[in-house]
Amino acid sequence: MKGRHLSIIIKKEFRGLFNERTILLAVLLQLFIAMFSSFLMVGLTSMYDPSSLSKYSRFKYIVAYCGNDSALRGYLEKSTDFNVYGMELSPAVAALRERKLAAVIYVPDTAPDAVEPVKITLYSLQNDLQSAIVNVKLKDIFLKYEKDLRQVRSLRLSEQPVPLQIPASRGGGDFYEFVYGLLIPLLLFMPAIIASALVIDLITEEYQHETLETLMSTPVTFAEMVWGKVLACELLIPIQAGAWLLLLLINGIAIANVPLILLQVTLTSLVPILIGTLTALHYRERTAAQFIFSTALVVVILFVLALPANPLNLITRLAVGTAGMEQWIVLAGVIAIGALLSVATQKYAEKIGREHHTS
Amino acid sequence: MGFKINRVSIVYRSGNPGQSMGALSDITTIARWEVRRTLTQMSRDTLPLAIVLFVLLILVTGFAAQSGMHLQDGMYVVGVDDGAIARLIASDNRFSVYQLDRQTLEQNALSFDLIVIEGKVYGSATERGKSALKTVERDYAKYTNLVYNRQDDLYAAYPLWIDIESVKSELNFLATQSGQYISARPDPVAPVPEGEIRNVPLPSPTLAISKEELRKELTKSEAANSQISRYTEMLSSDTAMGRFKTPSQLSPPLPFDSIILIFVFIFPLYFTSQFFMMSIMNERIERKGEVLLSTPVKASSIIIGKALPYLLGMLAISAGLAVYLRASPLILLPLVPVIFFFLANALLIGMVSRSFKELSFISIFFSTVATSYLFFPSIFANVHVISLISPLTLIILTLQGTAYTLTDYLFSTSLFWLTSAVLFYVAVRNFNEERLFSEKGLLIRIREFVADSLSEKHPFVSLFLLNGFSIPFVFMIQMMCLVIFFNLPMPYSLILLIIFAAEIEEFTKSVGIYTLYVQNPGFFSWKNLVLASAATAVGFLVGEKLLLLVTLAQITESVFGSVLFLSLGVLWLPLLLHFTGVFVVACSLKIGGRKWFVPGLLAATAIHCLYNLYFILGWLT
Repeated sequence: MKGRHLSIIIKKEFRGLFNERTILLAVLLQLFIAMFSSFLMVGLTSMYDPSSLSKYSRFKYIVAYCGNDSALRGYLEKSTDFNVYGMELSPAVAALRERKLAAVIYVPDTAPDAVEPVKITLYSLQNDLQSAIVNVKLKDIFLKYEKDLRQVRSLRLSEQPVPLQIPASRGGGDFYEFVYGLLIPLLLFMPAIIASALVIDLITEEYQHETLETLMSTPVTFAEMVWGKVLACELLIPIQAGAWLLLLLINGIAIANVPLILLQVTLTSLVPILIGTLTALHYRERTAAQFIFSTALVVVILFVLALPANPLNLITRLAVGTAGMEQWIVLAGVIAIGALLSVATQKYAEKIGREHHTS
Repeated sequence: MGFKINRVSIVYRSGNPGQSMGALSDITTIARWEVRRTLTQMSRDTLPLAIVLFVLLILVTGFAAQSGMHLQDGMYVVGVDDGAIARLIASDNRFSVYQLDRQTLEQNALSFDLIVIEGKVYGSATERGKSALKTVERDYAKYTNLVYNRQDDLYAAYPLWIDIESVKSELNFLATQSGQYISARPDPVAPVPEGEIRNVPLPSPTLAISKEELRKELTKSEAANSQISRYTEMLSSDTAMGRFKTPSQLSPPLPFDSIILIFVFIFPLYFTSQFFMMSIMNERIERKGEVLLSTPVKASSIIIGKALPYLLGMLAISAGLAVYLRASPLILLPLVPVIFFFLANALLIGMVSRSFKELSFISIFFSTVATSYLFFPSIFANVHVISLISPLTLIILTLQGTAYTLTDYLFSTSLFWLTSAVLFYVAVRNFNEERLFSEKGLLIRIREFVADSLSEKHPFVSLFLLNGFSIPFVFMIQMMCLVIFFNLPMPYSLILLIIFAAEIEEFTKSVGIYTLYVQNPGFFSWKNLVLASAATAVGFLVGEKLLLLVTLAQITESVFGSVLFLSLGVLWLPLLLHFTGVFVVACSLKIGGRKWFVPGLLAATAIHCLYNLYFILGWLT
């Protein structure tokens, strides 16, 4: 295998990517997703953890309290989030319908130590973002009241949970798990998926556009051509993953161990790329190859995710800074699989190359 | 080689005058051939491997369900001085737990995210520490529920139940759109309703369900830690608990349900449209489709015939999924326009890409954008009316058993119907040798596609129609921007929306003019230039108003709507604006040539923005 031949193929593929401006589309795609992840950060995570919603409104909501007096009314009046008015039920609901109130609470005449539970009716506005926020704020107050009632009825409980005192959260940390435990590993392995789809395109294209003969008449061997394409795709990985890391850092997301993450991602990505290469060499036709490859990819990803200490988990741990020595074991495993696949690719490519020569 | 023979047989059959069923028989022949070709291609050696992979998929899914997802393992480090609490925390994989004595813990507090000493949790002040604290809080709540669910006296463990009654407000769409909040001023007196007071019956003080039924439901939601079970729970929405909730259950439905739901329905559609895309592309490789084009079969018949098997396949898959999930067949109604939309785009992508990698990138790009458009609004399905711009929201509503109106249906699907129709039309007009086998760049090809859709004899009518029909696309992109900017704080979201909306509208209007100019620069005499601009402006305005009338009836029904969209008195103002914008672009093209297109566009955008700012600001103050 000659380095010069490899670099010729790599250059050829990159030229193709630039000429068609497909690389522009890839960049656009990345920016688009980056734009959406800012949307994700606020929109999705606030839904993912609704209690973070309430931080977006420093606002006193007006609620009506109807029915019997209870400790709940005291909690509502003490709360900084609400203004409470005692009202009759019918006018209160009418005012709610006119958006003059944020919610109406009706409390029945049930004693705190009754056998029956206390059933509160909460009237809230349908399909409204603000009523979701109001409900989240009311939840805290209802929880306090529930604790009181539970205390009153505690003698009736046969078992108490192991006590654990958790300090009230001081805010923050809402997006952490979502960003580090989901977004970062998924975004960093997206280039690998794109690159493996690309290597299939590059190889099947030579077959289906019948350009293979021309290429084979040059001193470049078939195996060299295959490896040139593989390396061209592999080169895209650190570039794209690096761009992601940069975009995340610009967005103010601190990431630990950036060089180690890049190393892990780059080496791990070789595995799907080589699987794509083998599929493409076998089918030599895009539809079949892409179909089989994407199905196989779903199987592999699902399997890998079910394993403890998998490469995606490792990215999470590296990014938050809790990865230990086990990362090197995982890396060694990944390299071993990559090496096996490389040998298989080399043998397969040599075999096909010989067939081309004899025919 | 088998398919080559098939191809010839089609030529023979469709050329046979005895079989004069015309287009319909052509379509069925081509559809049948498409199926046969795909099947022969598949069965060779793809099918056995596909079956193996499918079996593997089932096995792996079983394995994953048992072992769980290990994406977030070991994110946090916790030190505990007590064995029982250590076991409790360690049951969550996200924590690496170390059991140490109190002194060691206190000395090394900094190397832990959380330490637990004598049943008290201390969190570090870092983001990771705060997040760990929240996770422990949630885990502990789950654990206490587990203990409480076992209690004989369920009402001692859960003494408080909340029954949520939803009240429909008359103003809901606009009130939140224009940043108006639910009542504001703290008043010493309780608010008094202005309208009629309907009598609301006092709610009954007892739960309408027995204790054992409640326990059954509580233990069910206790097992629902994994996202998948939560999802199945949502589908069987007729649970006995219904709307009764304990305080800790009181929060808006989580989006994970809809995430999984959407991928269950969208992924097969995306996959199938890939095959269609590839089938179109295959006709173009090495001019293979030349034979087909040289037959007297009409382009529309070829396209419909080729698309038909995929359309039926997608419908069958969706129907199968609906049956499998035991959902109402109504669920298919909002899916049909989405299927058409996917097919129309797949067709066009197959027609414009020059190479496989271009095909891949464009289709990945398209599917990301389309999925975002479909997916993000539907996160807000239970929260905000904005969610209705995605047809998938209707699916979620159907699954929940919430009814939606015909207006809702039109609102969320009309853009999909219209854009698919326009895209199919463009594809049919361009399905000829010259376009299919050209090797020109993407942008040039897209321009040529537009050019072919314009009539040379009636340029002004064409411009009028082109702009009228481009409106659904403009709306789609603007809706997308609305969704993206929805979460930014108020002034920024408004400003960005104004700029982007202006840019998109000006660009769309200039497409027709630019294409005409490039085709034949001599056409643009000053008189023609004014006429062309006028035709563009009128077409754009008419399309805009018509579509608004159909889709945004929700807004137009209200008082604000009539001011904004319907009163004819204000109609000449937007017309003038649209005319000025496109006229500026046309003039810069005529004077400066193609180089001046972009500056002209920017100038037009600036004018548009100023107009909108003036209008909106003036309206607000």
